[in-house]
Amino acid sequence: MTATLGKRKRSAAVVSKSEEDQRSSSPGSDSSLLDAQEIFRRHFESQFKPLPVVQKAPAAIEDGPDNLSDANSESEWDGISEAGEGAVEVIEHSDAQSHMAAMPKEELKAFMSSKPPKSTPTPSLIRDKAGISIADDDDSETANLKKDLALQRLLAESHLLESASNPTLTGKNRHKATDLRMQALGSKTSIFKQEKMPMSHRKGIISKQSEREETRRREARENGIILERAKMKPKKNSIGQRDRGVGAPSVGKFTGGTLTLSKKDISDIEGPQRGVNSRGGGRVRGRGRGKRP
Amino acid sequence: MATPNPEFLRFTGHESFTQRLVLSTLTGRPIHISQIRSSSPTHPGLAPHEISFLRLLDSITNGSSVQISYTGTTLTYIPGLITGSVTTGLGATGDVVKCALPETCRRGVSWFLLPLSILAPFSKAPVNVRFEGEGVITSATETGDISVDSVRTAILPLYEQFSILGAKLELRVLQRSCAGPGGKGGGGVVELKFGSQVRLPKTLHMNRSPGRVKRIRGVAYCTGVSASNNARMIHAARGVLNPLVADVHVAAQYDQAPLVSSHDKTNPSGKKRTGVGFGLSLIAESNADGVIYSADVAAPSQGGVTPEDIGKKCAFQLLECISQGGCVTRIGAPTVLTLMAMGSEDVGRVRLGRDVVGTEEIISLGRDLKKFGASSWGIRDAEDDGTGDIIVSVKGIGVGNVGRKVA
Repeated sequence: MTATLGKRKRSAAVVSKSEEDQRSSSPGSDSSLLDAQEIFRRHFESQFKPLPVVQKAPAAIEDGPDNLSDANSESEWDGISEAGEGAVEVIEHSDAQSHMAAMPKEELKAFMSSKPPKSTPTPSLIRDKAGISIADDDDSETANLKKDLALQRLLAESHLLESASNPTLTGKNRHKATDLRMQALGSKTSIFKQEKMPMSHRKGIISKQSEREETRRREARENGIILERAKMKPKKNSIGQRDRGVGAPSVGKFTGGTLTLSKKDISDIEGPQRGVNSRGGGRVRGRGRGKRP
Repeated sequence: MATPNPEFLRFTGHESFTQRLVLSTLTGRPIHISQIRSSSPTHPGLAPHEISFLRLLDSITNGSSVQISYTGTTLTYIPGLITGSVTTGLGATGDVVKCALPETCRRGVSWFLLPLSILAPFSKAPVNVRFEGEGVITSATETGDISVDSVRTAILPLYEQFSILGAKLELRVLQRSCAGPGGKGGGGVVELKFGSQVRLPKTLHMNRSPGRVKRIRGVAYCTGVSASNNARMIHAARGVLNPLVADVHVAAQYDQAPLVSSHDKTNPSGKKRTGVGFGLSLIAESNADGVIYSADVAAPSQGGVTPEDIGKKCAFQLLECISQGGCVTRIGAPTVLTLMAMGSEDVGRVRLGRDVVGTEEIISLGRDLKKFGASSWGIRDAEDDGTGDIIVSVKGIGVGNVGRKVA
């Protein structure tokens, strides 16, 4: 109900303007449109001094008594602008700065470079393999796929564009984007990872990284922000899984022409002893090659 | 240099000086100009900027010779080959030809740039010229020259239509300067790199409708005055233009005033600031390919105008330029018509506004071209609409790089 009321109100306001125009153009013609309010006004004026010219609310004329409250509120409002006021003094305050719409940074760069500016509009950024740009209104399946890909990439790489120094996907940002794509495709290492560096540096870098990550998480938690799930730390490889060279014995340690077996190796080979391991469920522990009993 | 055709083409007066020298260099016909300001009691003969242009021609050509009479009222010019910036002659260091303009120069650097870039496509090697010295005015001037920004944004794009690669053109403004005190001198540094040489520029066919203006761009520049002038100029110009085109963007460029020698006998190493001022350059791009209108206004050197006036004036000038119609403006028409006349032996058509064709410079260009042996222009009305534009058909005379090498 309120919604419809609001609507009516608005339409009434629109009507009132045109009505008012009509009225001012032909003051005698409104005698036929007398309504209750008008009658009251006439009556009042006959007894007291004439009221100031109040814009009447013609909504009441059209909609009848169900809209009377609206009309009243409007007539109250319209009373503010009185006809008797003098001419309004207009002061134009031109603020030069506020209207200076800046050129987009990309365009500004192109325009203010030393080369003559291109008159052709900048081509669409989505390109196919041959470097041919895809029109924005191309609706074919392949075009849609390419647009999808471009959108995915934009979403994944948009944080690179936030840097103030280089807001484009060129230069350093291009390499960063390439790195991201490579890692998304399954690359184990980043192209930015430096392979050789002093241990102390590496340790420092790693500790700084983890510290930064830890602060980020802590601050997010304190502020009630939910972050992505922390990546599980990879488990330390056990010695048994370590990579042995080709031709090396699969058990023990071969040094100086001697195969040395540790106690653990031996026990692994022997397997669990029946007598001792009475409470076990017969489960074979270890990964030795010992015969199963 | 022994001249193959020693008969001189004779001209009088200093009007269209660069144009005649350019045509002479391109066609290889020697010229003789007499009565150069011979009636002036105070400044007879060649003006400083004209001498500088002759020096520039000398440094980018090989084998040209210039003879000037004692009073400077008579000039004989025998053209050589346009070699570009490989010369080891006067003022050349590396592959950049340096052109020093004297302090007394009253013309903007665009007065040099426009003819130089007409010559450059016909050169043997890339043309790299650096204008420096105490006479380089990069802004628009009261003598009617356009600013370097307009050269770059409105004139250089015209070359792309002649199959000259726009990517190899570069106009670098290393130091901006407005006209100095009394409209004389500046302190700017401008470098033109014209790296695209063609055997024969193609002719062009711009006889279609010039289309409608779709966007307006521009550069507001301040040197040595408050940078807020830029904003005020832009605001005033947008006030005029925004109701007509929504896409109006003007870049603001603020620079320090250049330092030049103060020419003080007591303090020889003294420096002073010069070339203080501001100005606005606007271009309007149409939706038709390659149609660019331009306007340029700078504050006069004595000052006394508000940036709002300059901005408004520039906007009105742009509107006037657009109202003249045609595909090429009055500023760009000499370049386009000359390249068409010198280009491949083919008839090209260009649509010009009636007021553009009717200017003195275009008419005199047509006469000069005829004198240099180019075929006459065909002129007819563009009857497709009521714009009153004129279609000028120009037949090229096939002057190309190869012709230059043989000559």
